[in-house]
Amino acid sequence: MAVRSARVSSVVPRRAVGVDIGGALNLVGAMLRYLALAFLFPTGIALGYGEPVWPFLASGAITAVAGFGLERITTGRDRIGAREGFFVVSVTWLLAALFVSLPYLFAEPQLRHPVDAYFEAMSGMTTTGASVLTDIPALDHSVAMWRQLSQWLGGMGIIVLALAVLPRLRVGGRQLMEYEAPGPELEPLAASIRATARRLWFLYLGLTGAMILVLTVVAYTGLDEAMTFYEAVAHALTTLPTGGFSTRARSIEEFGAVSQWVIAVFMVVAGANFALTYRALVRGQLRAPIRDEELRLYLGLLALASIVLFLDLVREGIHTGEEAVRHAVFQASSIMTTTGYASVDFAVLWTGLAALVLVMLMFVGGSAGSTGGAIKPIRILLTGRILRRELDQTVHPEAVLPIRFNGLVVHERTLRAIGAFVLLYLAVFAVGALVIAIDSGRADLNVGAFDAIAAAATTIGNAGPAFGLAGPMGAFAPFSPLSKEAMILHMWMGRLELIPIAVLFTRSYWRA
Amino acid sequence: MKIFVVGAGQVGATVVEALHSEHDLTLIDLDPGRLSALSNRYELRPVQGNAASRRVLQEAGLVDGALFIACTSRDETNIVAAMFAKRLAPEITTIVRTTREEYVEIWRERELEIDHVVSTELETAHAVSRLIGVPAARQTDIFAEGQVQMVEFDVEEGAQADLVGLPLRRAEIPPDSKVASIIRGDRTIVPRGDESIEPGDRIVVIGSPEAARAWSQLLSRSDRAVDDVVIVGAGETGVAIARLLLEQQIRVRMLEADAARAREVAELLPEVRVFHTSGLEQDFIERERIGHARAAILAMPEDAKNLYAATLAKLHGVRFTVAIVHDPLAADVFERAGVDVAVNPRTVTAEEIVRFAHDPRVLQLSMLEGDRFEVLDITVREDSALCGKAFRELPMTGSLIGAIVRDGRAIFPHGDDMLQPGDRAIIFTESSRVPQVERAL
Repeated sequence: MAVRSARVSSVVPRRAVGVDIGGALNLVGAMLRYLALAFLFPTGIALGYGEPVWPFLASGAITAVAGFGLERITTGRDRIGAREGFFVVSVTWLLAALFVSLPYLFAEPQLRHPVDAYFEAMSGMTTTGASVLTDIPALDHSVAMWRQLSQWLGGMGIIVLALAVLPRLRVGGRQLMEYEAPGPELEPLAASIRATARRLWFLYLGLTGAMILVLTVVAYTGLDEAMTFYEAVAHALTTLPTGGFSTRARSIEEFGAVSQWVIAVFMVVAGANFALTYRALVRGQLRAPIRDEELRLYLGLLALASIVLFLDLVREGIHTGEEAVRHAVFQASSIMTTTGYASVDFAVLWTGLAALVLVMLMFVGGSAGSTGGAIKPIRILLTGRILRRELDQTVHPEAVLPIRFNGLVVHERTLRAIGAFVLLYLAVFAVGALVIAIDSGRADLNVGAFDAIAAAATTIGNAGPAFGLAGPMGAFAPFSPLSKEAMILHMWMGRLELIPIAVLFTRSYWRA
Repeated sequence: MKIFVVGAGQVGATVVEALHSEHDLTLIDLDPGRLSALSNRYELRPVQGNAASRRVLQEAGLVDGALFIACTSRDETNIVAAMFAKRLAPEITTIVRTTREEYVEIWRERELEIDHVVSTELETAHAVSRLIGVPAARQTDIFAEGQVQMVEFDVEEGAQADLVGLPLRRAEIPPDSKVASIIRGDRTIVPRGDESIEPGDRIVVIGSPEAARAWSQLLSRSDRAVDDVVIVGAGETGVAIARLLLEQQIRVRMLEADAARAREVAELLPEVRVFHTSGLEQDFIERERIGHARAAILAMPEDAKNLYAATLAKLHGVRFTVAIVHDPLAADVFERAGVDVAVNPRTVTAEEIVRFAHDPRVLQLSMLEGDRFEVLDITVREDSALCGKAFRELPMTGSLIGAIVRDGRAIFPHGDDMLQPGDRAIIFTESSRVPQVERAL
């Protein structure tokens, strides 16, 4: 046998694959297994409201069987290599969205088409908040709540969750978390990556609980008639992951001013670096957050956008007084943190200038280490510094000019990666916008150039609403399946910040 | 005084030359050739051997020594020798020469059992800083959360005339500050109003941070004020010089030929603009307007390159050039060839060591800055006899109240101010008077 195989290989040189696919899939299986537990939450709600339970039990069973099966047919490794990490993260997210979409397929008539169900699931897991649903109030409570929960799970990241509970990820887990965590560098909160993951989830849980509490108080003190405990839970689950799914047809517009302000505040918190929030809230350290350059840029851009929107709204007489301030702040926060709620139908009522500001905000995104998507203030800041240095260097070729962030020198390697990320982001966005424009033209849809750009920007940035037919009160349903698939790819790549997925498409990744 | 000198190199030779006539010297070195060269010239007792060996030190008769100066070119040898010396003769005062600033830092944190550390780089930097007319504070201590500073300065020839040579009560001293002590030759003076500051003094000032800066400006040479300096060579010495100049808000540019070192220094000193270049190219000098700099400091390791660069800088219009020279005989040549001043790090180091050997504080048990004088931070008791008296009425003793902190704010008292219960007083006093001061307050 040995001789024969040697001869075969001499005739057809088999190229060794440099990636341990078996080991990687084994880990993916182990993580999916835990995802099955998540189906218990909507099951409980279905029981409570007397709605069918089987879609969730069946989906949960399928997920568990698939997870265990994948684990069984592959051989696990004690540690996962850096290379396998890219594969694990990318595939885990693809498959997780697939299993999350099962209840939609089983129980929701509006999501019968697999592409629609998968779109809704991917939009949920990646905390995008774009929806193909045209009639949201028609959803069962359990299905509606499953949508909300999918965003909450995806927000902090399923890998981070797995890291917190899976004992075998003690080695090599850091790499995985880096690939999933938003932003160029992960800020450790504890010595071990496992403790960091736990602290992040603890904070995430705590903030979600706090938001439920505040909204419930708003509901029971009669400050907002439309708010209930159910809505409080539903919206807390999609605010902290900067998700944007709502249980209401007209999103946050249906709630009163107090609820809108509360949600706006929590969106801003969710879009800030969780490590800084942890330090400020848990350790009482205020110095580092106040001096953090990214936080300053984040809040500065937020304030600037709010002011521009406010002035535009007042000048055009669209809103006045407190209403104008509220909608300006709410919409700037919602879009920039890539949450995607709407307190008003900005796509229909607001001006072209406001629309342009909002689309630009879709590219900014939340801070590194937050649940927000898109390019992120830190990369914008550093790209700005790279550009400034290039200009400086042009005049002074011999000058040695290290670039700093928060006073610390940033490695040239990191700077290159940031430059590459921004370019890749814009390239993928441009291709997506083209695909959507061409495909919509072919399908005779009324999608203008700006609408195509907005749809691409909102999906790659994980924001949610776009303009035109996919406006905040509209739906992505009319797009053709090809456009939807492009948007699914956008959401997936945007959530994992492109690089882990992009490397899978290089030849050198697979070579030994 | 019985003095032990370890190391018969350039620094050791200078120290021996300065001290041999008045003191009983023992010179320890590994190299018999260097030893006999010095012992033939001066009256001293040569000991051949490794000073970092306890046996050698014992045999050299260290037990009744008064001062131990370790000034070989190897830091570790110096430190180990000084520590052994301290063990063998606890009464001895140890001075260590070092070339690494890290050791100075560790020593300042009192983690090294050495009485005094003289850093070649720092001394060179101070010498250069004095030369270009901006004497930097030799030492700064901070009290009351940074509101009160104690700063030590060297007073140069040419400092502002309305300060030097006048009785202190008539001199224009920056507001919110006091001269706490004047070290002149072998005397330390706690000055009264009729005392005056003279060139060559080393003074200790207590005051607000603004006042400390004002002092530094007052002591600058008015005729040679610089604001833009180019340092060629980003070695340890270059960096030490840059640090001192930056403290005084002078714009510093540095030129370094080694790419990795240039990067390292650029990362270390964000305020400095570092260029990766040899600094010897006409094209570069023109393009970067190096000629506009008021002073150029040539701190490359090779003397010849420093001379060349200094000449080049002069040609392009730099008014004042300081070259670091390592060859003891080259300084003269350099200065004749057109370099304004040549500084030899070893000579500077030796001078500082000799200065310490002459310093009255050496005669104390130890000469840690804080040992002869102490700065106390005391909260005034309610029943203190000094409360409610104007400062001018307070008894004249060897102590001085530099500042008081009242309600969290620093006040620099004048004659009419009064001490109040609960005030925090920052007091500069002789160590021997500490108990008295504490009792009085």
